[in-house]
Order: sequence, then C-alpha cells, then structure tokens
Amino acid sequence: MSDEVNVGDKLRALALRGPENLVQLLKQQDEELESKLGQDSGILDLHRAINEDPELKQRVSMILDKFYNMAERNEEDVDDIYDAEEHRGKSAARLRDVNVTEEVVPPENFSHIVGEIYRSSFPRPENFSFLQHSLRLKSIMVLIPEEYPSENTDFMAQAGIELFQIGMSGNKEPFVNIPWDLLTRALEVAINPANHPILIHCNRGKHRTGCLVGCIRRLQNWSLTMIFDEYRRFAFPKARALDQQFIEMYDEDKIKQIAEDKDWLPIRW
Amino acid sequence: MAEPDEDDDHIYVNEETELGTQRVRVAHAPARRIVPPLNFCPVERYLYRSGQPSPVNFPFLLDLRLKTIIWLANEEPQDTLLEFCDAHSIQLQFATINPDGGEDDNPWDGLTEHSIIAALQTIVNADNYPLLVCCGMGRHRTGTVIGCLRRIMGWNLASVSEEYRRFTGSRGGRILVELLIEAFDTRLVAIDQERAPRWLART
Repeated sequence: MSDEVNVGDKLRALALRGPENLVQLLKQQDEELESKLGQDSGILDLHRAINEDPELKQRVSMILDKFYNMAERNEEDVDDIYDAEEHRGKSAARLRDVNVTEEVVPPENFSHIVGEIYRSSFPRPENFSFLQHSLRLKSIMVLIPEEYPSENTDFMAQAGIELFQIGMSGNKEPFVNIPWDLLTRALEVAINPANHPILIHCNRGKHRTGCLVGCIRRLQNWSLTMIFDEYRRFAFPKARALDQQFIEMYDEDKIKQIAEDKDWLPIRW
Repeated sequence: MAEPDEDDDHIYVNEETELGTQRVRVAHAPARRIVPPLNFCPVERYLYRSGQPSPVNFPFLLDLRLKTIIWLANEEPQDTLLEFCDAHSIQLQFATINPDGGEDDNPWDGLTEHSIIAALQTIVNADNYPLLVCCGMGRHRTGTVIGCLRRIMGWNLASVSEEYRRFTGSRGGRILVELLIEAFDTRLVAIDQERAPRWLART
C-alpha cells in the first residue's frame, strides 16, 4: 500500500517538474517491467496510482499526448488509427474503376478462423464483391470506435449484411487496455452461429482482431504457445507483447458460461 | 495458514488423501490443452494447411475429422503419422514430386508442376474433405499448392503472395515459389462441377 502512495507522490512531483522527467520515469518502469515480466512489477502500481487520481491522470495523459503526438506517435500507433479521410480517398479512387478487373480481391490480412468466422483488415470497395459473393457474409463485426464509412454501410444494406460495432482502442502502451467485458461482448457476437458467416475486422486486422481471435482460440482450448504463434503471424512485423499478455490474462469464465448455456461450444470447424 | 516448512521431507505428501480417507474437490477440471500443428490455418471450409503433424497434434486433428491428408514430399513422413492415418482410416496422399522415381530428389526442392496438379486434383474434389495439406514446415510446398489454388479461385496475385508470405517465417518468401504460382496454368486442373466444393463452384 505504502508503495502505491510513494509512486503517486513521485509521479506528481515529477509531473510538476516537467514532462521530460515523467516520460523518463515511465520509460524506466517500462523497461523494468520487461526485465521481470510475470512478476508483480512497479508498472502495475504506477498504473493504479495514475488511474486513481483523476487530476494526475489528466496531467499524465496531456503530457503523453504531447510527446506521442509530436515526437513519436510511432508507426505502430498509426495502424490503430482509423483515418476516415484516407479511407474515403482510396475508396473514391477505387469506385471509379471498380469494373476494371474481374479478379477476386480479398481484404488484406484475410483468413478463415474457424467454421464460418473470418478475419481481415478494413474492407474497401474492391473487396465488397468478395465479401458478398465468395463469403456470402451475414454479418460484419468492426472493432474500431470511429464511425463506419458510408460506402461500407451502403454496400452492407444492399447486400443484406448486418453490422456489429464494438469499438475498442487496442492494447497500446502505456496506459490503454481493452476492457475485458468489451471483449466478452465481442466474443458473444463472434461465436454465435446465428451471425455466421461473419467477418471480424479492425483497421489492419493485426492487433484488436488478433486479441479477439486469440480469445476464440482460448475457447477452443488451444495451447498459449500456438495462440501466440498465430497472433504473431498476423501481426507481423508489429506483434505486441501487451496483446499477448492480454490474451493470456483474459478471464474467460463469463463467456464460457454464456456459450455453454447456449450450446455454442465446441465451436464447429 | 503457516508457510510450509521447506525442510519437511513430506511436504508433497498429503497423508489423508494418499490414504483415500478424504477426497479433494477442485473447482475447475484442468482444461485440455489443444495443440494444432505448426503453421496450422483453415484455408477454406473443411480445407486446412499445416506443417508436419506430430503425436502432440493428433487429438487436435481428430477434432477436424479428416478424411484425407496430402503430404507434399517424396520421403515418408514420421511413422507416427503413418500409424495415425492407418488407425483412423485417413487417406494419406503423397506428392509425387518427380514422376520418374526421383532418385536425385532433395527435401528442399520445390514442387514440380506435375506434383502441384496432382495435389490440386485432390483438393478440387469435395469427396476428399475434410482435407489437410501439409509438408515439413507448412511453408513453401504447402504455400505453393495453396497459392495455385488461390489462382484457380481467381484471387489477385498480391493477395496470394501476402498469404504465402504470412506462413514463410523470418526468412521470408522464395521468389521461385512466387514465380511458379504466378506462371501456373490454372486450366491444367480439371474441375468437376458436380464434385467441386461450394466455394469453387461456378455460378
């Protein structure tokens, strides 16, 4: 307990002195966590201390915003941000020459997961025909919090595909985590046979989708080693330790209960 | 509760339970740990790919209720796999990489057109499903066959290449494999519409 207070005090003092010190401390804590992963390390106390103090939380997030925005809102984070402008630009260009090719174009990072559950990155107009005619989708579940683009909703209305949106912002360092109950809700949609065939996607289909798929594998009782191996295959070259920790620590009791009550397990191949 | 004394010789022996006088109840039975083979992934419904399955993967394979396994090598797989297929009436098909006997074959050779067509001829027939395509690591040979299958399905080459490279590990894809996939003449595989899986059927 006293440790916690100390960390909070230390942080507050550092935050007052200037952002550089705080960032340095966070970085140091981060490295410590890495070196003794699995043990109860300082960063957990840090996490709690910051979350329990609204004023501190705000100050820290302001400083982090500033730093991450300018200096290194690093490439990994760019993938997590759904850019409506970018999407619209590419889609418009695509809509103009959508009839040029007869090729089957699956979205990037597309794959089957199990049965009629699929995963991919954000589908664009060139993928619509694949989704409608090859996969014959009944539903799409999107894991981004941003508003779904109109060309996608128009397409889905026309093709009779239902949209489920469960917005989550990814396990981003340092202080963002996917809440468990959100993931439980997403799993409830994903493994419900009434929604199949279903496509699950986020922005790149690497991190948020990877976490969800990892938890589906847990429901299938896969060994963690093989779950992580699959996660890394799809997240390559941007696998995140935090995502893998999340998959391991996710408490599956609730979804197992729901799934067993509704007779959804084992998930059919 | 007191900390167990580390010097106690009998620390791991609970005399009461050992003697059967008391049953221990656990809240959760330990979960069965399922281990899919290396590089395992579903390709289409009831069609799967992977590296060479070993005994630790057999319980998982049973869940798939496989009817056929295509083994993409001239050399035999491990005996355990042969026995497993025998015991569960799974048809094991070998890729005949070199039709003239293949005395000069190397395990690292790529597939020949002949062997790709032979494998695909089995894959486009739904009578053989559920079906697993595998090779040693589930990377290049399996990737070649699945890549050519994607071409038959009309996938654009960028998506085919992306999928192939997803399974090739840290050393990346082989250009020769991708050239083979690109140049593959899809008309060489005869598709019987009556027997084709739904996702191959022409509409």
